Amino acid sequence: MSDLDSISRRKFLKLGLGAVGSIGAVGVLGSCAVPSPIGQTTGGVAVNLYNPHNQHGGLAMPMPVGEINYQANGFNPDDILTDFDYGKVSTLPNGQTLREYEVFAGVKTVEVMPSVNYEAWTYNGRVPGPTFRATEGDRMRINFLNATGHPHTMHFHGVHPGNMDGVYEVIPAGERFTYEFDAEPFGLHLYHCHVFPLAEHIMRGLYGAFIIDPKGGRPTVDREYVMVMNGIDLDFDGVNDVYAVNFIPFHYDRYPIKFKVGEKVRVYLVNILERDLVNSFHLHANFFNYYPTGTSLTPTEYTDTIIQAQAQRGILEFSYRYPGKYMFHAHVTEFAELGWTGVFLVEE
Amino acid sequence: METATQPKVQSQPQSGGKTLALFLIPVVLLAGVIALFLFTNGAGLNVEPAAPIEGLQFERTILRPDQIEFQVQNTSPQEITVAQLIINDAVWPFAISPGHTIPRLGRAVITIDYPWVTGSPYFIKFFSSNSVPFETEIEVAAETATPTTGTLLSFTLIGLYVGVIPVFLGIFWFPALRRLGMQWMTFLMAVTAGLLIFLGIDATSEAFEIANEVAGPYQGVGLVGIGIVATIMLLDAISRRQSGIGRTEEGQRLATAFMISVGIGLHNLGEGLAIGAAYSIGAAALGAFLVVGFIIQNITEGLGIIAPVLRDRPAWVNLLWMGLIGGAPAILGAWVGGLTYSQPLAVVFLAIGAGAVFEVVYEIFKLIQKDSAKRPMPITIFAGVTVGMLLLYITGLLIK
Repeated sequence: MSDLDSISRRKFLKLGLGAVGSIGAVGVLGSCAVPSPIGQTTGGVAVNLYNPHNQHGGLAMPMPVGEINYQANGFNPDDILTDFDYGKVSTLPNGQTLREYEVFAGVKTVEVMPSVNYEAWTYNGRVPGPTFRATEGDRMRINFLNATGHPHTMHFHGVHPGNMDGVYEVIPAGERFTYEFDAEPFGLHLYHCHVFPLAEHIMRGLYGAFIIDPKGGRPTVDREYVMVMNGIDLDFDGVNDVYAVNFIPFHYDRYPIKFKVGEKVRVYLVNILERDLVNSFHLHANFFNYYPTGTSLTPTEYTDTIIQAQAQRGILEFSYRYPGKYMFHAHVTEFAELGWTGVFLVEE
Repeated sequence: METATQPKVQSQPQSGGKTLALFLIPVVLLAGVIALFLFTNGAGLNVEPAAPIEGLQFERTILRPDQIEFQVQNTSPQEITVAQLIINDAVWPFAISPGHTIPRLGRAVITIDYPWVTGSPYFIKFFSSNSVPFETEIEVAAETATPTTGTLLSFTLIGLYVGVIPVFLGIFWFPALRRLGMQWMTFLMAVTAGLLIFLGIDATSEAFEIANEVAGPYQGVGLVGIGIVATIMLLDAISRRQSGIGRTEEGQRLATAFMISVGIGLHNLGEGLAIGAAYSIGAAALGAFLVVGFIIQNITEGLGIIAPVLRDRPAWVNLLWMGLIGGAPAILGAWVGGLTYSQPLAVVFLAIGAGAVFEVVYEIFKLIQKDSAKRPMPITIFAGVTVGMLLLYITGLLIK
């Protein structure tokens, strides 16, 4: 309010504009792909729950405008949800199961919000990278190719020898490396690039989930979903601009995840958010069993909200008693309004 | 020299076509060079920027109940696409007209349905398709006054209060000041010069300040230069033509008084513009104290107008005109500023005002020069100019 006291004859002008002009910012994406025109619809029909012009009435809510061209992106969060990569399976002479994976690091311009292009660094052309899935004790062999112009690695969370840790063995541009280790301990883990500056290499998109099932597997459920929580610093100013699960803000808000009343649902939830201290998951109108890091088959908590710090993860299990639309989102609510929000559409 | 070259020029009257050709050769070469650059992508120079340079100017923000409107202009070297909007940490849907892609120097109107709260600040961040952010801010949210006959009346009243009334109040000193002696009249003219110098510096500084906010292609600083210099040259030319007509000294003093009122009028135009713009968005709590401050400060302007003609008997119609010319532009300025505000236009107005004021100072010094030729009084002039500047400085304390 001190502004009003200090109004001078001409100082009016500055207030008069009511806005601070933003002068020529310099973009960071040099050779971007041509953005898809806003409003172009590709694949699927958006269930636009909060459009003021639809039958749900004029509920003003956070929401981007336009549609993302997922075909041009080359990946869709809908698929990432249930896409488990078990690798090429064979048996070693000692009887151990061998799972072989081909992974490359690449650079890709991704339309992260409708018409907003972001130069992402990807494993296998998608963010998050493939969800590796093995059983405790399996032999993992990951043939990695760095197809970018920068050095990268793959650093797995798990138990393995130091030279397989993907930290000091930096893989230069164009080079290959094979990571090999036994899958242990069982639980929900993650992997990411460990080249410095670390935050930059991770948040650009070099991360993914790594699931190790216990021998004999976890109890059977009807649905399994992978959700990797992340932030995107669009303008590289050191502050996240938008948030998401599985990289694309608001995706599951516009394209709800559908399942049926009574179906058992398991969510593998990983937090790879950089530059913010905690992330969280809140389930609407329901409670879930929570297995932190998934390293036990006994839940530690029956709740509707959990928090995860950087690289923390856990497994959620729940089912819905009533049909309806149920939100799930970060209860760090500004993250929710900046994209980390989704909807479960529970049908009869 | 002139006489020597003239016959030479006249000796080649038949070379009209040849002259034209000689003029055209560099133009043709220029076209060739431009074509070379365009078709070879810089003729060996790497002219592609590593990253797109984008600029978006927020020209006006209008707040209506549950709705905010942004009027923007694309000031980048190429077209830009406004893709997403974040307001106070929430991605928010918006409508943009005519379209998301704005051509170079093109304008667009962006509207969001947003439940804003009176008195709260809002930070708005737009992202272009290249992830380039553009930020703007609403310091204190308040509903924007819509231009109705009521607001027009308000703008008129503001102009009356800060322009017309004080100038006339100053002029009403005429009968009293007439009784002063010659030296006091010279002192008053020097005071006027001081007032005007102060106003001129103030307007110039303000013009440069806004010039820095003006979108790049409009070259705000260039506008300031053109406005000041062209105004000075024009007024000087007019004054020289008039003195060339062969006026009496009294006539010249009257002419100077009129020019002072023109200068002050242009200055008040800029002032009205600023106040109108602020008032229209509700940012200006135009308190009674502030208005009183304006009246006191602008009385000195009326005083300045009549200083050159104190020893004469100007017709009252002339005094009336001087007052109107000096004060009424504040009303016009308030209208323009309140209804349509444009930064480049504000810069031009301020620069013209500054130029006019400086030229008038020059005219006043010419008059003082004539008086002091008869009787030197350097201390009186020094004291007058200083008092004039201090007068505005001190009355300025009331409104800053």
